[in-house]
Amino acid sequence: MSLTLTVDGERWRRHLLATVEKQPGIVPVAKGNGYGLTLGRLARRAQWLADHASDTGAPLDLLAVGTYDEVEQAASRYAGDLLVLTPWRPFGAALDLDPRTSARVVHTVSRVEDLAALRERDPDARFVLEQLTSMLRHGMTRRDLAAAAEALGPARSGLRGVAMHLPLNTTSHLGEVSRLINDVVASGLSTRTVFVSHLTGAELAGLATSYPDFTVRPRVGTDLWLGDRGALAVTATVLDVHEVERGDTFGYRGRSAPKHGHIVVVSGGTAHGIGLEAPTGDQSLKARAATLARGGLDAVGFVRSPFSIDGKQRLFAEPPHMQASMLFVPSGARVPRIGEDIDVRVRFTATDFDRVVVG
Amino acid sequence: MTTPLTLRPISAQEHRDFITTRSSASFLQTPAWASVKAEWRAESIGWFRDGHVVGVGLVLYRQLPKVRRYLAYLPEGPVIDWTGDDLEAWLAPMVAHLERQGAFAVRMGPPVVTRRWSAAQIKAGVADESVRRLGDVPPLERSQDGARVIAQLHELGWQQQTAEGGFSAGQPQFNFQVPLVDGDGVPRSEDDVLKGMNQLWRRNIKKADKSGVEVSRGERADLKAFHDLYVHTAERDYFTPRPLSYFQTMYDALGAEDPDRIQLWLARHEGDLVAATIAIRVGTHAWYSYGASSTEKREVRGSNAVQWAMIRHAMAAGAHVYDLRGITETLDADDPHVGLIQFKVGTGGEAVEYAGEWDLPVNRVIYKAFQLYLARRG
Repeated sequence: MSLTLTVDGERWRRHLLATVEKQPGIVPVAKGNGYGLTLGRLARRAQWLADHASDTGAPLDLLAVGTYDEVEQAASRYAGDLLVLTPWRPFGAALDLDPRTSARVVHTVSRVEDLAALRERDPDARFVLEQLTSMLRHGMTRRDLAAAAEALGPARSGLRGVAMHLPLNTTSHLGEVSRLINDVVASGLSTRTVFVSHLTGAELAGLATSYPDFTVRPRVGTDLWLGDRGALAVTATVLDVHEVERGDTFGYRGRSAPKHGHIVVVSGGTAHGIGLEAPTGDQSLKARAATLARGGLDAVGFVRSPFSIDGKQRLFAEPPHMQASMLFVPSGARVPRIGEDIDVRVRFTATDFDRVVVG
Repeated sequence: MTTPLTLRPISAQEHRDFITTRSSASFLQTPAWASVKAEWRAESIGWFRDGHVVGVGLVLYRQLPKVRRYLAYLPEGPVIDWTGDDLEAWLAPMVAHLERQGAFAVRMGPPVVTRRWSAAQIKAGVADESVRRLGDVPPLERSQDGARVIAQLHELGWQQQTAEGGFSAGQPQFNFQVPLVDGDGVPRSEDDVLKGMNQLWRRNIKKADKSGVEVSRGERADLKAFHDLYVHTAERDYFTPRPLSYFQTMYDALGAEDPDRIQLWLARHEGDLVAATIAIRVGTHAWYSYGASSTEKREVRGSNAVQWAMIRHAMAAGAHVYDLRGITETLDADDPHVGLIQFKVGTGGEAVEYAGEWDLPVNRVIYKAFQLYLARRG
C-alpha cells in the first residue's frame, strides 16, 4: 500500500564499513530527508559505525547535520559531536539549542562578526571557520580569515578547523583547494585541519601527499549512504486497475483515454515527492534533449513517469495526486495485478518514503 | 595613513646605497649583476615614499625576436617589503613603469621563503621509499608571510611558473642553506656548525686536513686555473660550461662593489689544484655559487675542505646564512639529482622553498606567443 524503500541490509552495511575504512577521518553527513533513509536512521547508523571503529580502524567522532533544527533528532541517536553545516547566525534556531546538546555541537562560522557574537554567547563554543569558495555561497575571504585569526589570537580557542564547500565540478578541485589551504596558512590561523566535500579518492590522496602536515577530513553524504545503489530498491504498490476504451474519461480533470488500455493506480504521489522532479543538474546535451522530449509528451497529453512495469517506464495518465499516481498501460502490455509491487526510479534526496525496510 | 609609493629609475649608486642599508639582498639584484648579463638591457628602479628610497629592483629586459617588446625580469627580486598585505601598492607602479618601457610581461622571483625542512627530515625522506618529493615530507614550518605573498600574487593575476622535477629555466625554487646564527640571531660557533654536519662531512674535512690539502683565496689571475678545472668538471658531469670571460666579467663587476663580494677559493694538494669554487656575499647572506673538482685525488677531499673554508669565512664576515643554492625537489633515491642533495644535506642546515618565479602578462597575445616560442625552443 505504500512507497517503499527496501534496503539489502547486509550489503548496505558492508558498503558503509568499506567506505569509512577507505576514508579515515570521514565526517558522515545526515541532513534533510536523510537521503531518503531518514535522519534518525542515519544518526543511529553513524553510531553503529562509531561502535565498529575497531573493525574499520576509522574512529568516527563527528556527524554533520544540515541545520540547527536537525540537531535534536541526531543528538538523541548518535553520541558523538555534531557539526552543523549551515553557518551560525545570531538569530533563529541556532539560539534555541538545548543546553544539554549544545556542548556537543561544532558550529560553522562564516562571518567575522558572527565569530565574535558566538563567542560572546558561549565562550566555550567549538567551531569551524567556513572559507569562501568559487561557489560564493557562505564563507570568509582570505582577509576575513586573517581578521578571525587576529580575533582568536594565539591562545587555545574553540577553533576545530576550516571548512570548504566546493562546487560539484567535473574538473579537478585540487587547484582551488591548494589556494584555499594556502590562504589558511597566510591567515595565521593555528589550525591544520580542513573539512572538504566532493573530492574524489584520487584528489584526497593528492592532498594528503602535498599537505602531509594537514589533516584533510572528507564530509561524505551521498557516496556513503547511497554509494551502493544495488543495495537499494524502491517500489510502489498497484492499488487499482481499470480498463478503458478510447474516449473514456477518467481522473480529477476528466481526461479521455487516447486508445484502449488500462489505468493503473499506484501508491506514491506528490506527498512523496513523486512528479516533483528536482533538477538533476545534468546540463549535458542529452539531458536537455530528454527534457525537451518529455515536454513533447506533455504536449500530446501524457508525461513519462518514474514508475516502470516489467522494465518499461510508463506514462502518467494525469499529473500525480498527493499519495497516488495514475498510469496508462496501453493494450498489448501486461497489466499488473492489484497488490503487486512495481519499480520506481526516484531522487533519494527529494523523496519521502512511507516505509524504509532494512533487511 | 601612509603616503602612496612612487617609482622611478635610479642610478646604480642609489641602488647600491640602498642595498647596503639592508641586511641582505640577492646578488642577482645588485646593480653589478647588470654587467654580468650584458646581453640584457638593464635598469635600476627605486620605490619612493616621502622622498626616501624604500625599495629597489634590478630589471633585466630581454627583447623578443624581431619586435621591440621585452620580458622584464627581476631575478630573486625586487628588494621591497614583502611582509605586508598590500603588495598591490608596491607592484602596481612597477608594472605601470615596465609597461611604459615596452614590457609585454613581467617576471619576478619574490625572495620569500614559503617552507623549510631540516636535514634530518630530508635524510629520512630519501630513505623512505614512499617519499618521492620534498613536498611529501611535513615541513618544519610553513611561512605565513610566504603564504600571504602567494595568495596576493594569485589575487593580483600573477601566474606561478612551475618546474616539475629538475631545475627550472630560472632561479631554483628549492635551496639548501646552513644557518650561521641561532633562532635569536646569535652567531653559532664553528664547533656547533661542524657538529651539525653529518659524520661523513666531518670525517672528510679532517681527512683533507690530514692529507695536507691547503685552501687559499685566489685572485683574478687565478680565474684561469678555476676555469680549466670547471671545464674538466663539466665534461665529467655533462653540463655546458660558461666561458672564462663570463667569470672575469662577474669577478670585475661584483668585486667593484665590495672587495669581499666575490671570492675565488682554491684547494691544492701537493701543488695540484683539486677543487676550486666561487663564493658571493651580500651583507649577511653568503652563497656558494660555482664549484669545480678534479677527478684525480678525490680521496684527499678537496671539495669538503674548500666548503668548510668558505663557511668559516662567511662566519667571520658576520654572515647569517651560508647558501648552497639550488636543489631539486626530488627525494627519490633512484633520481640522479639526489646525489647533489645528499652532498648539500651533509652540511646540516635546512632546505628552504621560495615562492618561485611569477609572471604577469601585460600583453596577453604577445605573452602567449612568447610561451609558445619557449615551448618550441624546448
